[in-house]
Amino acid sequence: MNLQRIFKLLADLRLTIFCLGLLIVLVALCTVAQVKLGVFEAVEKYMRGFFVWWHPAGLPFALPVFPGGATAGLLLLLNLLASFVVRLRPVREQIGLWLIHAGLVIFVLAEFATGMFAIETLMQIQEGQSRNYTESRDRIELAVVDTTDSQSDAVTAIPVSRLGIGRPITPPGVPFSLTVKGYFENAAVTERTAEAPMAVNMATAGSGAARSVFPQETATGDDKANNNPACFLEITQGEKSLGVWLVTTLAAQPETLEVGGRKFAISLRHERHYLPFRITLKDFRHDVYPGTEIPKNFSSLVHLSDPAAGEDREVLIYMNSPLRHGGKAFYQSGYREDTISILQVVDNPGWLLPYVAFVVVGVGMLVQFLGHFIGFVPRVHGGRAAGGGATVA
Amino acid sequence: MRKWIPWIVLGLAALYALAGFSRPKYSTDFDWVAVGELPVLQGGRLKPLDTVARNALLTFRGKQTLRSAEGKTSALEWLLRVLADPSRADKDKVFVIHDPDVLGLLGFQMKDKYFSFEDLGPHLERIRDQAERASRIESRERSRFQGAVLNLHERLMSYQMLRHTIQDPQSASFTSDIKAFLVQLATGREALRASKGNLSGDNPAIAALAGSFSRFQFMAQAGYFRFLPPLPGEGQEQWRNMGEGLLVSLTSGKIHPLAEHYAALVEAFRKNDKAGFGTELGAIRGYLATDQSGLLRQMGNEFIFNQSAPFYRGMVLYVTAFLLVCVSWLRWTEPLGRSAYRVLLVAFAVHTAGLIARIVLQGRPPVTNLYSSAVFVGWAAVLMAVVIEALFRRGFALAAAAVTGFVTLIIAHHLSSTGDTMEMMRAVLDSNFWLGTHVVTITIGYSATFLAGGLAHIYILRGVFSRTFSADAAKSVAQMVYGVVCFSLLFTFVGTVLGGIWADQSWGRFWGWDPKENGALLIVLWDAIALHARSGNLVGEKGFMVMAVFGNIITAISWFGVNMLGIGLHSYGFMDAALFWLVAFILVQWAVMFVGSLPDRQWRSALGTGR
Repeated sequence: MNLQRIFKLLADLRLTIFCLGLLIVLVALCTVAQVKLGVFEAVEKYMRGFFVWWHPAGLPFALPVFPGGATAGLLLLLNLLASFVVRLRPVREQIGLWLIHAGLVIFVLAEFATGMFAIETLMQIQEGQSRNYTESRDRIELAVVDTTDSQSDAVTAIPVSRLGIGRPITPPGVPFSLTVKGYFENAAVTERTAEAPMAVNMATAGSGAARSVFPQETATGDDKANNNPACFLEITQGEKSLGVWLVTTLAAQPETLEVGGRKFAISLRHERHYLPFRITLKDFRHDVYPGTEIPKNFSSLVHLSDPAAGEDREVLIYMNSPLRHGGKAFYQSGYREDTISILQVVDNPGWLLPYVAFVVVGVGMLVQFLGHFIGFVPRVHGGRAAGGGATVA
Repeated sequence: MRKWIPWIVLGLAALYALAGFSRPKYSTDFDWVAVGELPVLQGGRLKPLDTVARNALLTFRGKQTLRSAEGKTSALEWLLRVLADPSRADKDKVFVIHDPDVLGLLGFQMKDKYFSFEDLGPHLERIRDQAERASRIESRERSRFQGAVLNLHERLMSYQMLRHTIQDPQSASFTSDIKAFLVQLATGREALRASKGNLSGDNPAIAALAGSFSRFQFMAQAGYFRFLPPLPGEGQEQWRNMGEGLLVSLTSGKIHPLAEHYAALVEAFRKNDKAGFGTELGAIRGYLATDQSGLLRQMGNEFIFNQSAPFYRGMVLYVTAFLLVCVSWLRWTEPLGRSAYRVLLVAFAVHTAGLIARIVLQGRPPVTNLYSSAVFVGWAAVLMAVVIEALFRRGFALAAAAVTGFVTLIIAHHLSSTGDTMEMMRAVLDSNFWLGTHVVTITIGYSATFLAGGLAHIYILRGVFSRTFSADAAKSVAQMVYGVVCFSLLFTFVGTVLGGIWADQSWGRFWGWDPKENGALLIVLWDAIALHARSGNLVGEKGFMVMAVFGNIITAISWFGVNMLGIGLHSYGFMDAALFWLVAFILVQWAVMFVGSLPDRQWRSALGTGR
């Protein structure tokens, strides 16, 4: 009895309208906010959370000021599901509407799945090069590689989010510890100069000893990927300091050192996600329309080699035609200097859901509107008498 | 007599429509059609010179013709003046400046807004300086002044490039320069051969040749468009401007075969030598006819399309239809109503012809950019309205169609001032399949929401103010609105999902919360709200009409507001003005919604008690 009341309440059309209205407001706010925040941050702020938070200056914590997209989506989902119990049944008269709304449930679930599970990374690859990893857009890691054995490297990667200034870290199996002395989210690096007042000259060892670091304004939003972080690390073996080293994402080569007869390479780099297969860029092409800067097409001819899956073939990746392999999709995203192709790599386990949803909704619409044409299907929501629908729809 | 009125009106409308094909009028009697058809490569596509002229004048001056004390000059005549006789063209007032701060920068008074290159000449440095500052700022963060000064700078640059396209503007006679160059070329090559390659730079023959080369090099870089077709054996896209056409002699020893003809053509124009002009034009067209067969005809088609201005004529006809239908509600209902319907059909035919011509000329689906979306939104709305009118025969859909057709074509007209409306598609968008499905579907969705909103206007305004609006008529309008809103939901939803699929195919994100996607989603959400509110009896018929009017606001914002989010360089000019009109449009919608929310006693028609 009580349960039925709850369902009735949840299935109320006014709740539907409230949620849709909420979504209108959120989508509008999210769109306007993109001008300042960029797409990623605006979506995080308005759509992905259960609340929109506001952090007034001077207050130590943020306040939830408005329901977020996740709340609206969840409520809408409950509302839809409840309406299946209370109102919408897969009976002959309602099958069209039932399918449409069932498809919508899948759409909402798909967006939840994307928000939670989808990972987007990049693969920057030069002609002739071969890669078995992709890189995060904006997450940075500190990599310590034991290169003593020429056959295989032992890699330890520490996300910079886990590093703290002044707190020593000893990676497992490494005979020294690392202490962050200084970290800049975005920096430019030049030859060492003593005069410039802004120059940070902390490094005493490695190539950094001859370099100066200039902190730059940190890019936010969609430009985050353009930041070039720099990190000063003091390396200590027991009590003995081996000097302060500079690592940056700008460096072409890692810093190398020998400790206790073993060789190590240390670098700061975009977080790597290793793939169980390898991609080689054979040829990158990009054309513009004659006499203009308007890009006409981009394409990357790659070689995919995945012994485990028995795949060894060439693939042409171009606009609107990605390579899908091993649960990931590789899209042509951009290029640098004519020979470096930038592929966007998306790992979204739920990527098929919208397609399924579309088919379900599509069939539903077909049934519904054909039904209208024939004039059989009475109004479903509420008790309005039939009629009026047979005009255009 | 009354029986004949609709037929006479139909005849007049058809005559007006066909008048677009009459021979164009020019102020001088050179063979302008033959000049206007000459093919040039600009902005990545081949187009007739006439199109370049119209677009250039449109971006400079905001109009396709030049009006001065001497009268009207066509864009083509003006362009030839720039190409051939810069010192005269520099006096034409072709630069429009609206921004008060830019006018202030140049020390001009607000009462003028058109300026010649000569007027602006002394200020070029200051403009460049300011433009450079502005260009360092992100386009969406630029102030109005910065946008305007950058835009002026760009126009001035384009103008100077135009002057360098066919000849060196400093030269007294470019044909003699070319002749002298050919002599230099022969002696220079001879000297080079004689010295077996180890020549020092102070050899006079080589020095003279090097001087010419660097001059042509500059022209090659500065040229605005390319008019010399590819040489035999070269790729289809290898068109050249004059500088490039002369520089080919660097490798082959011969200049481009049409280079001298073009130089002589513009020189004959400058000297007002009609016979010489005709000879050179004949030579050029003769060469093109054999070398690029079919191209002249293709260019001719676009020339006719420009000349016949189908969308302008359609606009005039739509207004006529609307006025007729309005008058028909007051008196002579029968004959004027029929006349209006016929004029609307002619307008629609012209509109359709223009749309098809664009599709054929461009080889693309109907909607490729904001301009063509405006043309198509109007077309689809009118098509739907004509179908509804054929079903209901009440004149309401007719009025809504005429207004929608007129307004969207006006919008298209203003959008065209940003340049070529058949621009090339960026790589991501270059997919006829998705342009044809996603973009067209969603645009039909826009049309439907506007049509529903337009019909709701009629319901509300006539319902409140007109005693003659019967309950029966109201019911049928309400039915139309309901049907069209359903239709709109169907199309915007399918279009949005198709957009998602396209996005998933091109960058792996089904839904990226991109502004344009969000705009379409807003319409879907709003239509869904309106339909649920109606089916749940949460609003009555009048309330539903008010909601349909609000759909206009949502659609206008998602169509245009999104483009205004980052008001930048390319949107300058039109978009500033567009913002004003968008706000005005929204205010009007609010006003109508307010009227629609008045209590029953204020409704003077059968729908209320205020009789």
